[in-house]
Amino acid sequence: MFRSLRTDNPELVRVSVNGHAVEIASGQSVWSALALSGQTTTRKAALSGEDRSAYCAMGVCFECMVEIDGIPNQQACLRRVADGMTIATQTITETSVAK
Amino acid sequence: MSAALTLSEHGRSALVLDRGVAPGGQIFRSVSTSPLPDRTALGPDYAAGAELVSAYTNSRAKHVAGADVWHIGEDGRILYSHEGTTKQVEAREILICPGAIERPMPIRGWTLPGVMTAGAAQVMLKSDAMVAENAVFAGSGPLLYLIVAQYLRLGVKVAGLVDTTPAENYLKAAPLLPAALGGFGLLRKGLALLSEIRRAGVPVYRNATDLAILGDQRAEGLVFTSDGRQEIKADTVFLHHGVLPNPNMTRALGLAHHWNEDQLAWHVTKDAFGQSSLPHVSVAGDGGGIVGADGARHEGTLAAMNVLTRLGHFASDQRDRLAKPRLAQLRRLARFRRFIDRLYQPRPALRLPQDSETVVCRCEEQRLSDLRQGFEEGARDPNALKSRTRCGMGPCQGRQCGPIVSGLLAKWQDLPVQDVGYYRLRSPQKLLSLEEFSQFQTVVPDEGGTK
Ligand SMILES: Cc1cc2nc3c(=O)[nH]c(=O)nc-3n(C[C@H](O)[C@H](O)[C@H](O)COP(=O)(O)OP(=O)(O)OC[C@H]3O[C@@H](n4cnc5c(N)ncnc54)[C@H](O)[C@@H]3O)c2cc1C
Ligand code: FES
Repeated sequence: MFRSLRTDNPELVRVSVNGHAVEIASGQSVWSALALSGQTTTRKAALSGEDRSAYCAMGVCFECMVEIDGIPNQQACLRRVADGMTIATQTITETSVAK
Repeated sequence: MSAALTLSEHGRSALVLDRGVAPGGQIFRSVSTSPLPDRTALGPDYAAGAELVSAYTNSRAKHVAGADVWHIGEDGRILYSHEGTTKQVEAREILICPGAIERPMPIRGWTLPGVMTAGAAQVMLKSDAMVAENAVFAGSGPLLYLIVAQYLRLGVKVAGLVDTTPAENYLKAAPLLPAALGGFGLLRKGLALLSEIRRAGVPVYRNATDLAILGDQRAEGLVFTSDGRQEIKADTVFLHHGVLPNPNMTRALGLAHHWNEDQLAWHVTKDAFGQSSLPHVSVAGDGGGIVGADGARHEGTLAAMNVLTRLGHFASDQRDRLAKPRLAQLRRLARFRRFIDRLYQPRPALRLPQDSETVVCRCEEQRLSDLRQGFEEGARDPNALKSRTRCGMGPCQGRQCGPIVSGLLAKWQDLPVQDVGYYRLRSPQKLLSLEEFSQFQTVVPDEGGTK
């Protein structure tokens, strides 16, 4: 289980994660919005369609690709949340995007 | 940061393109903006970074945060994504410092959600103050022990530390110890971390082998052998056994590389000042070969001195005189690094997959058995194997499978890794969207375009 250690009173923004409203400290990564709301599946694997989730958290592995405001292939660990952002698990695989 | 500071001290500005949110790189990540209630828990080194970052922020360097570089051309053309658009800049002198990535540990189940790297744990902690409660940490090396200690200082529970350092490594590293004494302080730091972890009551398993992730849909724990078969239940498993130079930028630019047997890693071929096989391109820090945080600062400064010489600010004998103490420091650090590299040299069975069903290419889901089949059908080098199996063709562009594939092909043919080679890489180094590409801007840096 992921949790936040923050004790300051950060300014919150509202985002939607797979249709659920989530409040999250402004400036945090999109991945943290997923993880702290318990929705850790970021994308489906290319062939098997199995669930995948963030692995490196530093932009290397591309496991954390999600759809942000309708645009696929966004690395959740590198992007920051913004008020009103729509975040969704990427169900199209990168092979189907290529086609 | 050190390179940009040196340039700035001599009246030159530099354009610094960094994908990170704030200056600091890996080690001083978010040091000026850390959301943690008590950042002293991260250790004194981290807090000391604030000084460097503030000197850098006050320098003439122009820092562009969130700039993701995806093409560097031999002609000095650099393309990067920034705030949803593609930007272009031309540089006369280029310094590449992409840092390190973690060495992949391809064990059964490593693609399951809930399996992450120890580096990920540290990034999440530093930038988002986010932690995983009751996680297992497995692998070897100082970074692994450091993050466990940081968790404990912050009151986060740790289910276990599974140390895979082979018992025989202690013997192999012992002869290098006297030469490493210059870095004894660093060594003592490492030992202190381990005893801190034990005192906190975290179960520590040593000389662990045969690791596999438990679970079908997501990680449910780790099984391994250490004094018999053991099992720890956990929904998060952090893996780590060392770091490798981040290869994609230097590879895509076609710089010469060579295999370093001490670090079991590809290094960029460069001179003492970091100048690569292309004279106007230098490489400093872990991205050229693992030198650690202190080494990276020296290398950055040296590379900048060389650039200043190339731009006509210094004569080369002046450069050499100024460089002398730094080069001596680097040699001292290198002796210590050799000891650490030997001590924490990863277990061969964790570096290369053992089980035919283990996934090697996470993006294209190619398993060891698929690669073996490609090899038997005639693929002898990484590029041939890539076109036969799609291994390495996914969005990460081989950042995870690349080192494994070179290693497997070398093993199967009983050849040195150097002879087997690595993937041929091309730009762009990330997935681009048409939306982004359609908005194109040329950026003109101040003062002659020194990046
Ligand atoms: C996960 C991890 C944790 C570590 N933790 C510690 C620690 O706790 N203590 C310690 O002593 N050492 C630690 N190290 C080692 C230490 O971080 C390095 O030795 C040191 O940071 C090397 O400095 P550098 O400048 O070479 O690279 P880095 O500090 O890694 O800087 C590289 C920079 O390049 C940027 N970058 C990479 N690719 C691109 C691109 N395409 N476009 C734009 N920017 C890009 C990155 O955002 C980053 O800011 C760690 C290393 C890793 C990988
Ligand atoms: S988690 Fe690896 S790229 Fe985001």
